[in-house]
Amino acid sequence: VIELYAVTREAAAPRPPLRAVACGGLTAVCGPATEREVTPEVLWEHEEVVEELMEQCNLLPFRFGTRVVDEAAAAHAVGARRDELLISLDRVRGAVELAVRARRRAGAGDAPTSSGSKYMDRRARDLGAARLLHEPLAFLARDSVLGGGPDLLRAAYLVDRETTERFVALVRRLQQSHPDLDVLCTGPWPPYSFADAKETT
Amino acid sequence: VKDKLLASPLDLDPFLSDDRRLDNALTRRIDAEPENVQRGLAQLVLTIVELLRQLMERQALRRIDGGALTEEQVERLGRTFMELDQRMEELRAEFGLEPEDLNLDLGPLGRLL
Repeated sequence: VIELYAVTREAAAPRPPLRAVACGGLTAVCGPATEREVTPEVLWEHEEVVEELMEQCNLLPFRFGTRVVDEAAAAHAVGARRDELLISLDRVRGAVELAVRARRRAGAGDAPTSSGSKYMDRRARDLGAARLLHEPLAFLARDSVLGGGPDLLRAAYLVDRETTERFVALVRRLQQSHPDLDVLCTGPWPPYSFADAKETT
Repeated sequence: VKDKLLASPLDLDPFLSDDRRLDNALTRRIDAEPENVQRGLAQLVLTIVELLRQLMERQALRRIDGGALTEEQVERLGRTFMELDQRMEELRAEFGLEPEDLNLDLGPLGRLL
């Protein structure tokens, strides 16, 4: 059983024990799968492997834990989705994923209320604030995906490598102009959120 | 981990609650006990309810924006959503679900929420 790390259309020379499996113009990078308990450390190790590959080539990361029986099965799986993988690879070429999250700052938080209209006011304000953050960021990005959850904003942006600095500077400016929010930006990540051809805004 | 921070607030703690969630997700993955099946069902149902709640809330906000509602109607709507919100929180707690758990990956269609 082997573990899949990433797929690329470029020549990849992964460090052993990783191996490059070619199929129909695409290359899947895989490595031996080990049975072990999944911990955050294991996830980081996997992440580091993918990031090292990302330095060499444009790639689509596989979801963590993607396993197949052998290299022939890997080649078959990649070959079967060749067309959509090529489209996705074109989409992410030269770009990285940056993640942005925003919350209302602790302390600046809202006192509990029993007033229905106040509740609606706050909801409108939060949705508006999320929009004010997201729209300029999405404008700088090639693509974006909004996530759910309790954060005011949780989003992934596909950003040209050379635009990364500008993007981060914009995040800082937005933080300054929204002192009531905490804005967090992390990356650069492999384009996890943009690996599927159709999952896009 | 630190070198992944490109821009961060002074206080990171509120964002770090995710670590605990990650641990939960990792241990949950390989656990197929009967009570987890029940939980999975609760997760599914609550996700649908949450989707409807959010859609209705947005619709209500649009109507309020349009100025078509009286103050009393706005107050009533707000209370309804507030109570729904609280009730959802209680139900989530009962099944040990985090807000982020109430989402569905619909594959090619993207995420539900």
